[in-house]
Amino acid sequence: MKNFNLRDFGADIWERSNRPVRVAIVIVVIGLVAMMPYAGAGFLATPIAAYDAVIVYPVAIFVLMSLGLNIVVGKSGMLDLGYVAFFAIGAYTMGFLGIHTSLNTWEIMPIGIGLAMLAGVMLGLPTLRLRGDYLAIVTLGFGEIIRIVALNVSWTNGPNGISGIPMPPDIGPLKFRLDDQKVFFWVVLAMILMTIWMIRRLSVRRPGRAWEAIRQDEDAAELMGVPTLKYKIWSFTLGAAVGGAAGVLYGSKNLFVAPEMFTLNVSILILACVVFGGIGNIWGVIVGGVILGYLPDRIRFISDARLLVFGLVLVVVMNFRPDGLLPRKKREKALVKKGANS
Amino acid sequence: MSKTLLKLENLTMKFGGVTALNEVNLEVKEGEILALIGPNGAGKTTVFNVITGVYQATSGSVLFDGHNLVGRKRFQITGLGVARTFQNIRLFGDMTTLENVITATDVHKKSGLVGSLFGTPRARREERENRTKALEILEFIGIDEYSDRLAKNLPYGVQRRLEIARAMGTTPKLLLLDEPAAGFNPQEKVELATTIKKVRDAGYTVLLIEHDMSLIMGISDRVAVLDFGTKIADDSPTVVQNDPRVIEAYLGVPADAS
Amino acid sequence: MFTVFIDQFWQLTISGIALGFIYVLIALGYTMVYGVLRMINFANSEIFMWGTFGAIVASRDLFRYNQTTEPATGGKLALVLFIQLFAAMAFAAVVSVIVELAAYRRLRARGTNRLATLISAIGMSMVLSETMRLMTDSRPVGSPRILEKVILTEVWGAQIRLDTLITIVAAGAIFIILERFVKLSRMGKAIRAVSMNEDAAKLMGINLNRVITVTFLVGGLATGAAGFFYVTVYEYTKFNIGFTMGLAAFTAAVVGGIGNIRGAFFGGVFLGLAEVYASAILGTQWKAVTIFIVLVLVLLFKPNGLFGEAVQQTRA
Repeated sequence: MKNFNLRDFGADIWERSNRPVRVAIVIVVIGLVAMMPYAGAGFLATPIAAYDAVIVYPVAIFVLMSLGLNIVVGKSGMLDLGYVAFFAIGAYTMGFLGIHTSLNTWEIMPIGIGLAMLAGVMLGLPTLRLRGDYLAIVTLGFGEIIRIVALNVSWTNGPNGISGIPMPPDIGPLKFRLDDQKVFFWVVLAMILMTIWMIRRLSVRRPGRAWEAIRQDEDAAELMGVPTLKYKIWSFTLGAAVGGAAGVLYGSKNLFVAPEMFTLNVSILILACVVFGGIGNIWGVIVGGVILGYLPDRIRFISDARLLVFGLVLVVVMNFRPDGLLPRKKREKALVKKGANS
Repeated sequence: MSKTLLKLENLTMKFGGVTALNEVNLEVKEGEILALIGPNGAGKTTVFNVITGVYQATSGSVLFDGHNLVGRKRFQITGLGVARTFQNIRLFGDMTTLENVITATDVHKKSGLVGSLFGTPRARREERENRTKALEILEFIGIDEYSDRLAKNLPYGVQRRLEIARAMGTTPKLLLLDEPAAGFNPQEKVELATTIKKVRDAGYTVLLIEHDMSLIMGISDRVAVLDFGTKIADDSPTVVQNDPRVIEAYLGVPADAS
Repeated sequence: MFTVFIDQFWQLTISGIALGFIYVLIALGYTMVYGVLRMINFANSEIFMWGTFGAIVASRDLFRYNQTTEPATGGKLALVLFIQLFAAMAFAAVVSVIVELAAYRRLRARGTNRLATLISAIGMSMVLSETMRLMTDSRPVGSPRILEKVILTEVWGAQIRLDTLITIVAAGAIFIILERFVKLSRMGKAIRAVSMNEDAAKLMGINLNRVITVTFLVGGLATGAAGFFYVTVYEYTKFNIGFTMGLAAFTAAVVGGIGNIRGAFFGGVFLGLAEVYASAILGTQWKAVTIFIVLVLVLLFKPNGLFGEAVQQTRA
């Protein structure tokens, strides 16, 4: 097979299948992934932190955040270097409301998402008019600003952070426990599936086309009637929503939030996941999040130098394989029979 | 006499100290093909850019179908019924031919992000309408066999035609074509002329920038000539062709006069 | 809130100017690279950080100064400072050229994918700061005191210290030298030609790759010099000092009109003063926030900078 690429291979199988087969594939894949917490023995075991914790954070939460950031960077081509800010807003919302009110995690979730989206709109409205690299540096600054604010205002308890955040209440027989984080994994998995559903829905309809057009030629898009600012803000805000949701859950799982958890490095880590797997392609981004989330905990050497490795990933991938592991490249259907060279 | 669709009144555009357009007056009547010609740097593309809102006119007004376009956002102008093509092809290369046109058809649709996300009946209906309409346009322009090809992989001539198809996707009343025949061989130019006439006969009004005189003489109802940002002639093709000022400014260049 | 500001106004002004001159040199790094590439060099902040380490390596490892050594005087003082300055500039310039080769060159050769280039540069910046973090064990590194911080004179109650004076004079001199270089030298003219019109410059036979490398080199020299002054005034460095300094200097470059070399001067001084005044009024913890707000406001309302038009017009 010439020019083998995994994405096209997968897409081929998918396209050749009819609906029941597709449903079966989806159920089997989700089922297998849901069994991951039981696969912690042997080769996959992590020497540094407990396996069941590792696959929740970093792995699953990285995947979730990468999917969110990919809406901004991959779909609409805007470089957001302050993604950690939305994660922090979610986590602090959980921390603050979890301590000071009787609301539980699921009740705080929409509030956290809403606040993250609000921050997205407030940052996006003025700055999304800016050119790409200015936007990058402004978002970079914003990410740091949120951390500095958390460090210096009183209601976040400054550098000491907020501790004693409640865990999520049990869902029927599913109990959230610190020493056994399977249920957390399933919850994040559910959030990931919802995010994938959202992105796939939007991608094939008007918003997806608008983002794609903006990414490729913003001026031409606007002249073809795409309200570019509106769709850029939507993209930014949806990315923020996913980041905020991840933050709420992270706060509730970690039971503690503090400013040092939300440095610029987190934004870069997530960006590396997006870029490594294949910018713009959901499956690539997932693979990137899994590999870059998991490896540092599997291989001791990478653990200390994780940021160095991630920085190198950004440079090397961009220079040698800018499409990442699984490229976004769309296939052309039925092009062979139509005479490729007219 | 058919009604005026577009009217430029004393349109002036200055960039710093350079005057690109100087008090230009121009009328485009409904259903005609008006060619805008002139030597390089005469300000032809600037006219397009001012009409479509890429540039803000320094003074003067652009009246289109009862609206003043000056000061409006670019996508709103498109929504009112003005669409354009680009001299240097600017398709969405990573989209298929069909998707390029569908993206343009979205402009008149109501459903937004939330509707798309939850698949409301309206969003689904509009998606279907878009697709049907885009396919019709591709067939009309004669490039439907390329529907599923990525725009960046299309042959050059098809890309040029797709530019026109994409602009038609916005259901314009006025179609602005910026050198649609650039880089074409004589055979392709003849085909293009047929297409443009067909577009006009289908009810679109066409304002066309072109260098190829035989193409212009063959299809346009009227020709306006710009020279150094000033309109120096505006009449039927035969009259313009014999206007000494035009010959001096433009047709006087032997290579282009053929 | 304002009492500190009013009581200490002149003292603040002097520190603000000294800090501003450090910003001027870093801003020069941003603005020169922006001029030729039309792109922000995200790694410039880390180039600065490497420069500060260059200065410390020179005094600590070359001259074997440590925290207990007496500060130098006379000829020895001048020699040590000069070597420190040289080392800081050399470190930064080498790192800067490496950044260009590793993060920019290949992508430039393949065409203009801005997003990929930005990501590559931000990755490079992470590589630089992490390398230093691992090498220094995440710890701050103190600089041995080379220069006795003598109070030379007092003006309106403000003390003028030797290190402040040296910073202002020497940084000013370096700025003038570099500005003249860009203005008058053959290479400098080539750099300006590229920033005005890359295509035309290529047609005129200018070797673009060489010009860009030299631009990174000169930008690195300026940024590295800033690293030396930083160490002389603050006597410490750390792997993560680049971020805030870089954000401030970038803001200075934008305030002065990015791409505009003289603008970087005014922008740097403006920002140094703004930062010091704002810190006195609001508290130093809000320093970065103030800088950020200035940056956003300038980008939104005066994208060409506060000090007149930028040299180049934006290309369509």
